[in-house]
Amino acid sequence: MILRNLIILLILLPIKAFAVIEVDITRGNLNPLPIAVSPLSIDEESKNRFKKILKKDNIGAEISAVVENNLRQSGLFNPLNKDAFLQKPDIANLKPRFEDWSLIKAQVLITGKVTFVDENLRVEFRLWDVLGGKEMKALAFTTVPSNWRRVGHIITDKVYETLTGEKGYFDTRIIYVAEEGLKTNRIKKLAIMDQDGFNNKFLTLGNELVLTPRFSPTNQMVTYLSYFRNLPRVYLLDIETGMQEVVGDFPGMTFAPRFSPDGKKIIMSFAQDGNSDIYTMDLENRIVERITNHPSIDTSPSYSPDGKYITFNSDRSGYQQIYVMNSNGKNVKRISFGNGLYGTPVWSPRGDLIAFTKLHKGKFYIGVMRTDGSGERLLTENFYQEAPSWSPNGRVLIFYRETKTNSKGEGFSAKLWSIDLTGYNEKMVETETDASDPSWSSLLSN
Amino acid sequence: MNRNIIISFGLHTLLVIITAMSLPFLAKKPIDLPPIVSVELIQISDKTNIPFAPKAKKIIEKVKEKEKKLVSEQAPPKKLKKLKPDAVALPDEKIEKIKKIKDEKQNPEKVDTEVKQISEFEKKDLFDPSNIAALIDKSKLDTAETNKKLDKVTQDQDKDADFAGLTLSEEDALKAQIFGCWSIPLGLPYNENLLVRIKLQLKPDGTIIRTEILDHARMNKPGQKFYKVLAESALRAVKLCQPLRVPSKGYERWKELQLNFDAREMLEG
Amino acid sequence: MNLSKILKNAFLVIVASIVLTACATQKKSTGQTQGDVYTGSDSVEYLASGVKDRVFFATNETVLTTASRETLRKQAAWLRKNSKLNIVLEGHADERGTREYNLALGERRANSAKDYLMTYGISSDRISVISYGKERPVDSGSTPLSWSKNRRSVSVKAN
Repeated sequence: MILRNLIILLILLPIKAFAVIEVDITRGNLNPLPIAVSPLSIDEESKNRFKKILKKDNIGAEISAVVENNLRQSGLFNPLNKDAFLQKPDIANLKPRFEDWSLIKAQVLITGKVTFVDENLRVEFRLWDVLGGKEMKALAFTTVPSNWRRVGHIITDKVYETLTGEKGYFDTRIIYVAEEGLKTNRIKKLAIMDQDGFNNKFLTLGNELVLTPRFSPTNQMVTYLSYFRNLPRVYLLDIETGMQEVVGDFPGMTFAPRFSPDGKKIIMSFAQDGNSDIYTMDLENRIVERITNHPSIDTSPSYSPDGKYITFNSDRSGYQQIYVMNSNGKNVKRISFGNGLYGTPVWSPRGDLIAFTKLHKGKFYIGVMRTDGSGERLLTENFYQEAPSWSPNGRVLIFYRETKTNSKGEGFSAKLWSIDLTGYNEKMVETETDASDPSWSSLLSN
Repeated sequence: MNRNIIISFGLHTLLVIITAMSLPFLAKKPIDLPPIVSVELIQISDKTNIPFAPKAKKIIEKVKEKEKKLVSEQAPPKKLKKLKPDAVALPDEKIEKIKKIKDEKQNPEKVDTEVKQISEFEKKDLFDPSNIAALIDKSKLDTAETNKKLDKVTQDQDKDADFAGLTLSEEDALKAQIFGCWSIPLGLPYNENLLVRIKLQLKPDGTIIRTEILDHARMNKPGQKFYKVLAESALRAVKLCQPLRVPSKGYERWKELQLNFDAREMLEG
Repeated sequence: MNLSKILKNAFLVIVASIVLTACATQKKSTGQTQGDVYTGSDSVEYLASGVKDRVFFATNETVLTTASRETLRKQAAWLRKNSKLNIVLEGHADERGTREYNLALGERRANSAKDYLMTYGISSDRISVISYGKERPVDSGSTPLSWSKNRRSVSVKAN
């Protein structure tokens, strides 16, 4: 008896001695990560060369400003005030004195160098772990000087990916409808801009109504609805050449166009005799295929990223709801069952979520749900908002809002807004004019 | 048409009469006022500062002394700057824990008899928050004086601590520090699989000798980028918090710690 | 209970019930809409004397009301008299919906009117249909009354 107890004690004692104390850390702060973006260092000769070509005094500082703005806008990073930086850019790029940087509370540091090489812009940048005192990432690449803003976006993408584990979304563009004028007679033009609002360009003149543009996955083509000659039809536009053509030869209104994930087809709605169904057209052989065949309104189709499924909006149950079907139109399943009307379903590039617009008790919501309809989560509420579009990494949603008008019918405005999938960082996207119907391109660089 | 109007009118009138006769709230009833009771407001202190018998007073002093020692020895000094709003709650929690510790660590029987002899009001006085807070601030000075006396108690504590690990207040203090230093990466797919465990080896002054991410190999596996990001954020938190505010005694206990970083409570869903 | 009390109570009850009936809602006509369908004359134009050019709809609905059918019958009669005339039916929706669905809804409303005209002998090649969804509201207000004026199908002379 005593012996048995003794043996148990002996066995237990060593175990007790080796037991390391465990402490559960279950909380932290959700503040943006403090990051120091040092201006890219540049030698005098390169600086002068670029100044001549690009009319910018210090292209190194300009590029880092693009990076800094991107990081701040993402809501995940807090770029620190440059005035507090102790190390000069050229020294910092070689070997940062980490104590200097941690003194100003930076946890991560970006440094780099820009040089003029063979008429081109060569950039190298490094990402440093200030607290760990080591380099996390280093990259170099060359491009034409006029692409200097894209250089900033690409650097941001790499930094973002290293620090969040996800691909970035900064080297992208947004296509949207720029609008002006009276609410009863809006002038609408197709417009395209960098994701940070720069390099805005108009693609149409505003002579006819244009709506709901979408990028092709290769980013060179755009599809949209135009009321050219008072005939509402889906068109294709080549951004590089400016060439436009009608998609197919339909005897009635076609609308709500999108590209398939491989860019080979256009999927859209075709309305005839009061019924709207979903059709596809192959861009190569021009073969038209009917996907839905139901007396209800079927519209706003969206492919899953693997091209196997389509989610769409239908009122076959009596009211607007969201459905999912195989890409050949079979196996239609309803997935929205909450209170209210659901519309504009868009499949996330990650494949796991569908974003949508919801109207309930007079309020509009942007939300997401899993592809089987479960886990509905509403992200934001407003008097009027709709049509979310995903960033290519499936992390941010861009949509648009319209305002109420006063008793005289004045004060109407439409603006683009964006929100992070986590519900944070809801903010307006600045545009020169009023704007609606935004669509996010895929990454320009691959 | 006319007949219908007459019938409708008649029925409506009937309804009005019925309701008029039977509605209770329209009848007036006299209001019954409860009789006025006179109340005298007095200060609690007037009633509670009862002078005690000399013997009881001595015992009370002794217990007070013991409380003082326990508090100064067990409560690690806090770096007030790093206090998050949550941490401010600690002084109150400490009082509860000190009560418990007092019960556990000392000879239970002895304490019980002493406690029994103290009146209700005196007990309250012992655990006055402001008193203890004041004691904490002076703790550093106290430690030097009371060292000898504390040794015995410390050794007892060591044995017990091997079972209990860090005391609750020590653990809370450590947690509060790391909470303040950890920038949680938003948007990661937080689930049971996305937890990071880090082993720390500490010097007596709280600086870190070594960090080790348990399951280190996972960091570089393909498809585990989120684990890597979370692990790096945890490492940054630990490094940012250096030197950790550690208990002044019992280095053997906490020279090796394992921190389990789990963001689900804050972010799941 | 004495007489004065009963009379007082009766008076109070009558007043209360009058107040209640005044608060009645729903399908009552509030002057310009009936059952959510606009019945007023603001924004209404005339194709010919006595022939209104448009019909209105309830929210999310494409069904024709009795008043709408009355208007369309008059339009059909006028079209039969003027057999050389063709029309375009413009379908519209209010702003309280998603843009693409509203395009489809407008098309359906216009076709609703077209089908009715056809039952009165107007050939379908005299009637073309176009939907403007919510793009061309006639009333820029943000009130239910404004919205009811925008839910319409308008017949426009095409030649």
